[in-house]
Amino acid sequence: MLVSAKIRCSFRPQNLYRRLESTHATGAVWRSRIAELNETLNALVHVAPEDGYSSSKLPLSNIHVAIKDNICTSTMPTTCSSAILQQFTSPFDATVVRLLRESGATIVGKANCDEFGMGSLNTYSAHGPVVNPCRSTDGESNVKRSAGGSSGGSAAAVAAGMCDVALGTDTGGSIRLPASYCGIPGLKPSYGLLSRWGVVSYADSLDCIGILGKDVSIIKTTFDILSQFDPKDPTSVPSAVRESAANDLYIDQNTSFDSDKPFAGLRVGIPHEYFPAELDHSILHPLKDVLGLLQKYGAALVPISLPSTPYALSAYYVISSAEASSNLARYDGIEYGLRVDLPPGADKRKTSDVYAYTRSQGFGPEVQRRILLGSYALSADAFDNYFLQAQRVRKLIRSDFDNAFRSPNALHSLSATPRTGNPNGVDFIIHPSAIRTAPPLPDETSSTSKSANSLDAYVQDILTVPASLAGLPAISIPAGFGDDGLPVGVSLVGQWGKDSSVLKVAEGIERILQVH
Amino acid sequence: MWARARPWLSLRNISHIRCQHTLRTYKEDSRWPGWEVVVGIEVHAQIKSRHKLFSNSLTSDLSSPSNTHVSPYDAAFPGTLPRLNPKCVELGVRTAIALNSNVQPRSAFDRKHYFYSDLPSGYQITQHYAPIATRGTLRLPSAGTEVRITQIQLEQDTGKSTFDARHHLSAIDLNRAGTGLMEIVSEPDMRSPEEAGEYVRMLQAVLRSVGSSDGNMEQGSLRCDVNVSVNKPGGPPGTRCEIKNINSVKFMMIAITCEVFRQIEVLQKGGSVVQETRGFNEDTASTYSLRSKEDAPDYRYMPDPNLPPLLLDEGYIARIREGMPELPDATKSRLLEQGLTARDADVLMSIDMGREVGYDGKLGLGAVAYFDTVSTGRNPKVVVNWITHELLGQLSLRHETFKDNSLSPEQLGELIDLVEENKLTGTAGKNLLRHMIANRSKEHPLQLAKNLSLLSQSGDIAALEEWCKAAIEGLPDEVKSYRNGNANVLNRLIGRVMKVSKGRANAKDTRALLQQLLQ
Repeated sequence: MLVSAKIRCSFRPQNLYRRLESTHATGAVWRSRIAELNETLNALVHVAPEDGYSSSKLPLSNIHVAIKDNICTSTMPTTCSSAILQQFTSPFDATVVRLLRESGATIVGKANCDEFGMGSLNTYSAHGPVVNPCRSTDGESNVKRSAGGSSGGSAAAVAAGMCDVALGTDTGGSIRLPASYCGIPGLKPSYGLLSRWGVVSYADSLDCIGILGKDVSIIKTTFDILSQFDPKDPTSVPSAVRESAANDLYIDQNTSFDSDKPFAGLRVGIPHEYFPAELDHSILHPLKDVLGLLQKYGAALVPISLPSTPYALSAYYVISSAEASSNLARYDGIEYGLRVDLPPGADKRKTSDVYAYTRSQGFGPEVQRRILLGSYALSADAFDNYFLQAQRVRKLIRSDFDNAFRSPNALHSLSATPRTGNPNGVDFIIHPSAIRTAPPLPDETSSTSKSANSLDAYVQDILTVPASLAGLPAISIPAGFGDDGLPVGVSLVGQWGKDSSVLKVAEGIERILQVH
Repeated sequence: MWARARPWLSLRNISHIRCQHTLRTYKEDSRWPGWEVVVGIEVHAQIKSRHKLFSNSLTSDLSSPSNTHVSPYDAAFPGTLPRLNPKCVELGVRTAIALNSNVQPRSAFDRKHYFYSDLPSGYQITQHYAPIATRGTLRLPSAGTEVRITQIQLEQDTGKSTFDARHHLSAIDLNRAGTGLMEIVSEPDMRSPEEAGEYVRMLQAVLRSVGSSDGNMEQGSLRCDVNVSVNKPGGPPGTRCEIKNINSVKFMMIAITCEVFRQIEVLQKGGSVVQETRGFNEDTASTYSLRSKEDAPDYRYMPDPNLPPLLLDEGYIARIREGMPELPDATKSRLLEQGLTARDADVLMSIDMGREVGYDGKLGLGAVAYFDTVSTGRNPKVVVNWITHELLGQLSLRHETFKDNSLSPEQLGELIDLVEENKLTGTAGKNLLRHMIANRSKEHPLQLAKNLSLLSQSGDIAALEEWCKAAIEGLPDEVKSYRNGNANVLNRLIGRVMKVSKGRANAKDTRALLQQLLQ
């Protein structure tokens, strides 16, 4: 475990930050890390008061957890990094927060994020941008890097040793992208496994709670505690379906990584659509290293095709924006949240005025952009061409994956015509997590225009949205460094419900990377 | 095929194209000769469930203080999610079965978006694309016709906002927000205000009988939007206007009548009716424009991403069908079969309408159930007489209704038995009933009759003779008149005997003895 820490960015010699020597940060350590680093990194937006007592008998005792600020906590504010909820504290704990507390975890605070989870660089935050703890080695080490988004605060807090684990949310890549940029593992579980009760909705059909941690093992421990059926979440999958999906014919959960060929029999697919023109070539070296090791330790590498991938990004932005425009309609300043009084001269009797001033001031530019895009996609004239078309693409993406995997999709066992897996299919798909290493924060470089074209930011998600659209488990694990010395992540995607297998293999990759 | 490829395009959208006007033969109406009136009605009936449609908060009536039945979900707090209340589904299915509809094995929930202060989430969850039931019917006996039901959908009610003009403030009450509603959409099958009135009344009776709604228009638990158009018989259908915000059947019928006259006047002046939504002013008995078709909002319907499709298997539907409460038509024919007159059956059933509808489909004990209990093992005709004449008569003398009745079915049954077995005279029985109602007595009638010395004295000739002699002495004029041949006056003497005997005397014996004594 200690060896793996060496390859992580925050512990590299050129890093500004002190080496973290213990596996689990003790209470005092995380406090001092926060005191020392948070002002620079802006990872946490609320630090929990010291609670002093923690039982040592529970599974997560002595584990320190940061919670993304779009997950409800009854003892701390939940702002979603939005001005509209700047003063908001939820009357209840999210189910995942309750489960963490019941397991003895210490919650260190709330993590910065893009407003309502909308963004890929964690720059759209009422609390200001998150700064990546990693710095490049190519002579631009003074340039602050983005931590990625939208769970940038969660990733930066883990990478900087402020906590052992952080909860994030992933709608289209919001955990995997910052995990990749910050050099830590980050899991987006299968849709429907972790309860969304208490997660502030951005796009309900895509939103997943996920886990970022300093290593795969702590992610696995946390996942096992949080993955429970919750009657409060209508999309929570019942226990029987979870069990049938987790039962993996091809992956032995008890495989020891000490053997010669721990990955023997494993079939890993490499989809050629995941190497788009936008991909930075320096990403490829760490990926090739991982592929070589997989092969060396017994895995078969299989070139595959997921033909609908090129349409995924557009479909994702239509669906997520449509759902966002619906979910964010509730922020009107009437029941809770920011309320902007009408300026003199405005017509108080006009209902639209009462809403417009509050919403115009309360929402940041990216949220406003997506609400407008989503409202348009749902309008009577555009619905068929945009929303329905995007849903069709989503179906195609799903069947692409189902055709690629050896295991059948357990969710289809619920339907009248259960599908079988592809006998020649693969067990996992592997691909670069991001098209590049962490980009500079927009206002930190002269070469990038301050008002960066938002389409450039959308392209960041190009590799992560297909798994979101299909609801599949995906983990980004640190694979090495780009030419600039910044971390590079690779993603492992499994069939629906095979989260344990994904974690098992990710742990194996983590292990072999330590050895080499 | 088109509909199958796009399941979100529901029958509803298609059925809105009205093409079925000619199903019924035209009957001239003297109020508007030469014109045919076409009416379709959308009813919103609040589901009588204990909890709201998607949250655990209790539903409320008008007596609950404002904002006391509100959960974070009802107030659209971030992080909350809907959870479908199975009781609402069950009551929706009961309603669908009662209206002879096809319960859909798969239905789904959609969001209808608009901004209004009494809609905290900014959308209403409804079943726009795939409703829970389609294609039903409701028979109108008086009109002698059948109204087709297009569809039934489950949806959320809104909160209430009231404007305080003095302080320029809107007050919002979220007690009602999220309560389950059934939207019941009819085809344009009614041809007069009276048929529309009968449709709503029949619907109310059906909803109440299956326990799915109390259907109270005055209290707002049943609301109607009425579509009205007029056309020349045999001619193309007219353009319809929708009238909203009507809160009684009477006003609905007036509103339709006014709207018909307005549309005819527009057409006769050579104008054309504009498709629009209109309100109804009760004071001036006229409708007024609320918004035109062009101003209709775009609700940006979207399938709700949180709620999975509602799948109802045949077993579930069959179980509900088997446990269905009796529908009004069936009740009436059963009562008639038991030998009741149509009038008695109607009296029982109209009183039954006033019974409390229980929560979650629990059926309250109404007049019909009361009659059923009492008449088990007894002559139904005798029982219905006791209920409609004596029991209801006594209650109404006391300005009480059947709801206030304290007499249990067992008590009434025992009382009827005492009279039938001649242990009590009819008069004494009535007196006992009056006493028990007045004192809200819980005692056995037999015991009470003993305590009050009301039991028949038919065996005790001495006592009867004494009462008869007393009556003869007390009414010398009547005696004289009787002896002069006025036989009817004997009734007065019998009445006197009944009075002094407190009804214990048997009328037949008394008559015989008096005749004997006066010879």
